[in-house]
Amino acid sequence: MGKKALVIDDNGNNLLLEKDLLEVAGFEVYEAENAETGMMLARRELPDIIIMDVRLPDMRGTEAATILRLDEATSNIPIVFVTASVMTEGMEELRTIGRSALISKPINTRTFAKEVIQLMDSL
Amino acid sequence: MFWNKTATKTQEYSESIINTVREPLIALDQDLRVVSVSRSFYEVFKVKPEETVGQLIYDLGNKQWDIPKLRELLETILPQKATFDNYEVEHNFTTIGKRIMLLNARQIQRVREKERIILLAIEDITERKEIENGLEKARRELESTKISEDEAREYAESIINTVREPLIVMDQDLRVVSVSRSFYDFFKVNPKDTVGQLIYDLGNEQWNIPKLRELLETILPQKSSFDNYEVEHDFATIGRRIMLLNARQIQRVLGKERIILLAIEDITVRREVENGLEKAHEELKDLAKELERSARVKSEFLANMSHELRTPLNSINGFSEVLYDETFGPLNQKQRQYVNNVLTSGKHLLLLINQILDMAKVEAGKMKLELSNVPIKSLLNDISLLFVDMVNKKEIAMQIEIAEDLPNIEADELKVKEIIYNLISNSVKFTPEGGRIGMRARKLPSEIEITVWDTGIGIAVENIERVFEGFFRVDTPYSRLTEGTGLGLPLARKMVELHGGILSVESPGLNKGTSARFTLPIVSRADN
Repeated sequence: MGKKALVIDDNGNNLLLEKDLLEVAGFEVYEAENAETGMMLARRELPDIIIMDVRLPDMRGTEAATILRLDEATSNIPIVFVTASVMTEGMEELRTIGRSALISKPINTRTFAKEVIQLMDSL
Repeated sequence: MFWNKTATKTQEYSESIINTVREPLIALDQDLRVVSVSRSFYEVFKVKPEETVGQLIYDLGNKQWDIPKLRELLETILPQKATFDNYEVEHNFTTIGKRIMLLNARQIQRVREKERIILLAIEDITERKEIENGLEKARRELESTKISEDEAREYAESIINTVREPLIVMDQDLRVVSVSRSFYDFFKVNPKDTVGQLIYDLGNEQWNIPKLRELLETILPQKSSFDNYEVEHDFATIGRRIMLLNARQIQRVLGKERIILLAIEDITVRREVENGLEKAHEELKDLAKELERSARVKSEFLANMSHELRTPLNSINGFSEVLYDETFGPLNQKQRQYVNNVLTSGKHLLLLINQILDMAKVEAGKMKLELSNVPIKSLLNDISLLFVDMVNKKEIAMQIEIAEDLPNIEADELKVKEIIYNLISNSVKFTPEGGRIGMRARKLPSEIEITVWDTGIGIAVENIERVFEGFFRVDTPYSRLTEGTGLGLPLARKMVELHGGILSVESPGLNKGTSARFTLPIVSRADN
């Protein structure tokens, strides 16, 4: 209980939806609307899992993830990328990030939290 | 005795002449009895000396020689004239068959004695006659050939005049002998200004073309022909023309002089077309580049659009789902119904976006297959189970026939599912209550064949191919009742084709049901 999740998404509505679903599932949720805030929160809160949009206003999600991986404190936190993009381009860079997975938008609200919990345990 | 000796010598001498001569010779006494015969006589007439010497000539070889003409010659003509020359006698001998002979005879007075000797030379001219007859025949044939030579000339002239290509016949001095009608037509010259003229002088010296001079005066005498020389010339009458020249120098059969046949093909229009084609080809290349660029722009645009559309849909669908599930508290009947409407529309919109994107991907060649070993039998069963509720609700009967020997296939499982799901949902959608739908699957030599059929509203003959156009909705009372994107079938066909199969739709007509049939290779033929 009391698992910490960090959600980084520049779209307020999606951020809210994911937060709600994770809170219902029992997570303590931290929110960020850009990569910089997100990285700051990650270092400060050391969440059990990070849910991050691939396209962020200040940098790409994969860049933020690479930076987090370089910091010893955050290098092992599982990251779930959420993306609305379906083109295969850009998928390659996601694979270069260790302990990460991908959930595509629109998310299935009935299974989202379950998937996140599963990934948290398996990644 | 001496004399006698001499006489004997003379006789020996004459006998040796007789025997050397190739021509059969026979010596008769005055009673027409054989005195002596040449060796060649025995050979030609197949008789033996013992059956010959001392015999009456007519009795020779079983009276084969009893020839009326010979009797006449020996008994009537020879005594009067002492000689006869070249009498032709034809006779059918039993031993040697029909022979034609030339008979020459001399009556010789023996010097010291009173009796006479008759020398008869028999020349067998059967073969010569045959040769002569053959020659005669050949001569007659030649005569008739001579007629056909005239005919041939006429024929050649008519060819010259029939051929569309202008032709000109010249003598060795390059003076015009004959010209085809098409030449006159094409170069706008008159026969009277043409025949007998030097080719260069034709039509006010329009034909004084340096290249033509070179061809006719330098190249033709050396090679006796030239092919496809391209000559461009500006004619006063007909303007600039590009011509292809072909020439042959022909030796006249009986004369020493030569004639020159010059064929002129006007390729001006062809050249223009070729040049036009070249230009069109360049333009096409530019266009292809432009198309490639715009295709890339289009697919980038679609990728962006899809991303931008999905982001708000994530909220619409997500929040309405959470509301509908009453995660944060109960809704009343109406609220639940409305939020469900929002969710249904949102999901439809999402399906549309996904299918448009898939179409764009297929068309841009960017849709890749994720091949795996697909247990098609269980997959078909699983999919049909998804429709059980829907079918029961509509009171439609569903019949599934899957062949026992249906093998696993190498395919993209998700896409195969999508294809079959699309086809069955079409059948369910377009079949009114109480109807029947079904799926059949069987193994063909190297592929499997799946047919999804129904007894529904069918497709009018004129619309059968339009169902693959995209966004085509058959305009029937059902169109309003049914939900769909109009992209399911085109996309299904594209995905089947991507696998190397074929998808076709058949319907006997409106309200007569539809059947969609597709094949998938057992071993993938896809090139990725």
